[in-house]
This record gives sequence, C-alpha cells and structure tokens, in this order.
Amino acid sequence: MLGPDVAWYLAVAGFLFGTGALGVLLRRNPLIVLLSLEIMLNGGNLALIGYSRHLGRGGGQIFALSVMAVAASEVVVGLGLVVALNRRRVPLDVDRLNSLRG
Amino acid sequence: MIPGAWICLLSPLAGALAITLAGTRLSRRGAAYLSTLSCFVAFGGALASFAGSLGEKPHERHHLSTAWTWIQGGSYKSGLEVLVDPLSVMMMLIVSGVGALIVAYSIGYMDSDDEERRYFAYMSLFVFSMLLLVQGGNLILLLAGWGMVGLSSYLLIGFWHERPSAVAAAKKAFVMNAVGDATMALAFFLTIQKTGTLSFGALNALHGHSGWVVNLVALGLLGGAVAKSAQLPLQTWLPDAMEGPTPVSALIHAATMVTAGVYLIVRTHAAFELAPKVQDLAAGLGAATLLLAGLIALVQVDIKRVIAYSTMSQIGYMFLGAGLGAYANSMFHLMTHAFFKALLFMAAGIVIHALAGEQDMRRMGGMRALMPRTYWAFLVGALALVGVPPFAGFFSKDSILAAAMGHGWYGYILWIAGLVGAFLTGVYTFRMLFMVFWGEPSAFAREHFHTLKRDVPGLALEIPVVVLAVLSVIGGWLQFAPTWHPVATWLDTVAAPLVSPTNWQEAVSSVLAVVLGLAGIGLAWLLYAAPRRRPIPRTAFWQRTLEHKFYFDELYDTLFYVPSSFVARALGFVVERPLILGGSTELGTETREVGGLFARLQTGLLRTYALAIASSLAVLAIVFVAVKCRPF
Repeated sequence: MLGPDVAWYLAVAGFLFGTGALGVLLRRNPLIVLLSLEIMLNGGNLALIGYSRHLGRGGGQIFALSVMAVAASEVVVGLGLVVALNRRRVPLDVDRLNSLRG
Repeated sequence: MIPGAWICLLSPLAGALAITLAGTRLSRRGAAYLSTLSCFVAFGGALASFAGSLGEKPHERHHLSTAWTWIQGGSYKSGLEVLVDPLSVMMMLIVSGVGALIVAYSIGYMDSDDEERRYFAYMSLFVFSMLLLVQGGNLILLLAGWGMVGLSSYLLIGFWHERPSAVAAAKKAFVMNAVGDATMALAFFLTIQKTGTLSFGALNALHGHSGWVVNLVALGLLGGAVAKSAQLPLQTWLPDAMEGPTPVSALIHAATMVTAGVYLIVRTHAAFELAPKVQDLAAGLGAATLLLAGLIALVQVDIKRVIAYSTMSQIGYMFLGAGLGAYANSMFHLMTHAFFKALLFMAAGIVIHALAGEQDMRRMGGMRALMPRTYWAFLVGALALVGVPPFAGFFSKDSILAAAMGHGWYGYILWIAGLVGAFLTGVYTFRMLFMVFWGEPSAFAREHFHTLKRDVPGLALEIPVVVLAVLSVIGGWLQFAPTWHPVATWLDTVAAPLVSPTNWQEAVSSVLAVVLGLAGIGLAWLLYAAPRRRPIPRTAFWQRTLEHKFYFDELYDTLFYVPSSFVARALGFVVERPLILGGSTELGTETREVGGLFARLQTGLLRTYALAIASSLAVLAIVFVAVKCRPF
C-alpha cells in the first residue's frame, strides 16, 4: 500500500473536524460559520475515504461523494440566507439573530 | 272510511310541513289559507269516517289500520296504526271541526301580526298532534300524540316570545305537562312488563293481576289526564297559558289539549274500572277542581282568565262524569263545551281586539252598545255555559249530575259539589258578561274602541263565531237524557256506562241545576248590573286567598322551586367553584408554568445550540469508546 498509514489520515481528519467545530462555536459571522461547517464536512469526508482505502472497499468513497452533494446544496441554502440577511440590512452576527428565543 | 281517517290525520301535518318548507316563498296570507284548508280537509276526512261508521252495524264499528311496524323489540311490537271506532270518530269530528273553525278565525285575528307563517304552521301541528292522540291505535301512539300536544302548546303559548311572561307561561305549561307525561310513561312501562303489549286490549289483560299493579297503572294514567286537563293538583299552568294569542287559548280549551284527559279516561276505562278507588279519586278531583276553579273565577279581572277558569271547572264536570262511569255523558259534555267555549273565547277575542288589546274587565263596560252582534254571540255562549235550557250546556251537564246520584253517599257529595259549581258558574259567567257588556261605556272603552278592519276577503272574523253560536244553541239537542240519546248509543260499544240514572234523578238534577244557575245569574245581576246595586260582600281573607288562586303557585314554589334552587346554589358554592372551576384553572396555570420553564432552553442563539449538539456528541463518543474498550 502506498502512502502513509491510516492513522495519519484520521489525525488530519480529526484536526480538520476540530478546527471546523471550533470555528462554528466561536466565530460570529455567519459566512465564516458556514465555511467552518464545510471544513467539518471535509474532515468527515477524509475519514471516510481513509477508512475506505484501509479496508479496501469502495462504499466509503461513494458515501463521501454524496456528502459532497449534500454539502453543496447546504451551501446554496446557507449563502442564500446570508445574502438575504445582508439585503435586509440585518447585522451579520449570529449572536444578534436571536428572535427565536423562547 | 279508513282512507278518510288517514287523510284526517295526515292533512294537518302536511299543512304544517308545507308552510315550514315553503318559507318565504309562501305569502303570509297563503300560509293562513293553507293551514285552514288542511284543517278543513281533515274535517272532511273525519266526516267520511263518520259516514262510513254510520253505515255499519254497531258491533262492527272497530277498525285498526296499520301502516307499518313502528317499534319492534323481542316479543314487543307496536305499529303505526290508526283506530277508527265510535269514540275516535267523535273526537276526530270535534278536534278537526272546531279546530278548523278556530284556525279560520285566526286568519282575521292574526292578520298583520309578525311571523304569521310560524303561527299557522304551529296551529296545524297542534291539530295534527291532537288527532294523533285520539286516532292512535295503541297506547304508545297515544303517548306520542300526548307529548306532541304538549310541545305544540308550548310553542303556541310562547308564540309572542319577546314577552318574558309568555315564555315563562309556556315553560310552566310544558313542565307541568311533563309531570303527567312521566306518570303516564311509568304506567305504560308497568303495562308492558305485565302484559307484554301496549295495544288498548292490554288494559283488559291487566284483569288477573294484583291490586297494586292495576291501581298503579290507573294512577299513572290519571296523573297524565290530570296534567293535560289542568285538574287538581296540576292545574296551575292553565290560567298562565292565557299569554298566548286568543285563538290559541280557544284551541287549547275547546278542541285540543285539555279535553285529552277526558278522552284518555274514557279510552282506557278498562284500567280504571279495575281500580274503583282510582275512579273515585278521578271523580273527586273533578269535583274539587270545579269548585275551586269556580271560586277563583269570581275574583279574576282578566276576561280571558275568567274563561280559562270556567274551562277548568267544566273539565272538572267531565272528570266527575268519567270517574263515575258516565262516559257518554262526559263525552257529550266535552263536545258541547268545545262549541260554547270556542265561542266565548272568539267573542272575547273580538272585544279584546276592539279595545286595542286590553283584557282587564274593570276598564271595559257598555260594550253592548258598541258591538251588539258580539254581545249576542257572547250571551249565547254564556247561557250555554251556565246550562240554561235550551242551550247546549243544559243537556250535557245535567246528565253528569244525574249520574252522580246513582253512586251511593260519595256520589251525593259529588252531586252537591256539582250543584254548587252550577251556581258558581252562573255567578262568574254573568259577572263577566255584565262587567264587559252592560252599563254605560267606560271612559277607556269610549276612548279606545275602534271598529275592526280585520275581515279577510272571503272569510270574515264573524263567520266562525256565528257557526259556533248556532252549534252552541242546537248542539245540545243531540241528546235529551231520558228519551233521546244517540250519543250514548253511539259510544255504547266502546265504553258502556257504569251508571244509568233513573228519570226522576235526571229530572231533579236538571231542575236544581237550572234553578241554581239562574240564581247565580240573579246574584250576579244584583251585584253588577241592577239599577240599585248591592255592595259586593267582601272578606279580606277570602279575597286574598282567591286572588292568589288558593296559593297553589306559592305552595309549589316553596315545595319544589325553592329547595331545588337552594341545592343548585349550594352545589355551585361547594362543588363547582372549588373543584370544577378551581381545578381547571389550576391545570391551565401549571401547564403554562412548566411550558415557561422549557421555553428558557430555547435561547435563539445559534452557538448554544451548536455547543449543545457538540457536547452531547462528545459525551456519546466518550461513553461509546468507554463501553467498547472495557478492559475485560
């Protein structure tokens, strides 16, 4: 088998996922939150593909493809929301978008 | 004959339905004519049945026509069937004939009143209900008609529903009648349990049963009869029922409703004959009612109420007769009473209309000069009511009194009560006549009198009055007890009399009753009309007692209304407010509070949600790993 051991892939994937999660939790700009979400998804994808190679089965790779499709559509919706927010001159700050408070 | 009976029964129902369904597509006048037509068609059907029955031998005059099986359960079965026999044919003729005349009179009387269509639909329904009552071929149909009569009377007494007093009177009539309906229903339950059927023959089948069963059935039937006929002790609704329009009063008092009790006793006489004590009770109640009503009528000042009390008193005579077993005399009096009572009400209605709705006799007076024709009609009705020969009441009332003489010492008590009642009838009837029609026209009458412009094209207000006046004169000639008695012969196959008074009893009763009646008229003349009037003897106690109608309303208030409203109020305080109201309020508040608690979890901040998800995932992952890697 070429390339590094599966553990390295998982480490990178974990790093990506952690970075994304921190971004989602800490950043306030919805655009950056979306971006971090993408990084989390890509971390997940990398783990799927790493395992797929390690186990020699194609299922993980196909699953990664469908995650990409979902991610693409999610980005479309998310960016649409951000554009709409901007057009209505709503401040782009997730902490101030709290009108759903109970 | 059978088709005639069905036409008679269904025509008023068709009229009521047609008026109801047509709604505003039918003009008001059209509704009035339709209703009248349906009642006259019913009378035609009754005549056809009568003619058919006449052509048969007496013992063949009994036909039961079943349309379909109506109720069936186990071995019990009741059909929708009409009975055509002499008794039902006689009642059909009275109900549809007098009823049709009264409806025809209403066309003029109710002209330009609001909601005429509703009125005429109710009138047709009333006539239908009463016909169902008298034609129903078994006890359960009779009970159905009985209940529908109560319903229609409720609707019509409360016809002017914007008047609170009318609504209260309607409710009172309904409740008092419901008491009777209940006792009757209980009697029928007992009959079903003991005999398994509710045909009229079931009452004969009670013969072998123990005394208390028979007595209870008869008592239950008597309770129904007493309530519907406004006899003691359920009489209080009748005077209040005067709140309805005058033709309704005429219909209730003459053709339908109050006569139902007498019909019931005659129809179910088999049960009463098995329970002689209850029979005596019925006669005694009749006698007590006729005295009581006669006394109360002496002090009433509302013209319609005086007539109402006279009805109670006359129905008392009928109960007296029916209780003694003089069924034919009772039914004969029912018929003549229908004529002259409808006449009196219609004449009074014309007076009331001419005086712009005033019913207080103290403000009337001298109407003879203003409306002579109405005066003559009223005079005929009054003479028939008092029983002066040759008017109708003479022939029918005196036979009942004669029948009382053949019943031992108890009969003599009833007989004396009846004679006193005849005297009272003379006094109160002519007190009313003198107060309303004699003397100089009062200031009120001069001011408010206006000639009636209520004659409808093709049918004047006076025509039914004239017809009934003629019937009140000649109606009694149908039977003259010792020599000529077609009514008794006609009813003989249905209800054979238990007493047959001798000629001298008839003679003594007639002479005494007429003399006492005339004496009553004389007394009324001395007190109310003579040129030099005697002062009216008054005792404060009696005056008060009579004006309060012997405190029956007050008694029932104390016995039933006050305790039940007290219990209701107490339950409201003890049960409803703390338990039901408090409990549900508490439930609502608690739910809100718990909801508020959970609502605080919903911060609306995206990052708290994300953190919650992330931390729960982390916890799950740690638990998962810990479980998987347990060191064993």
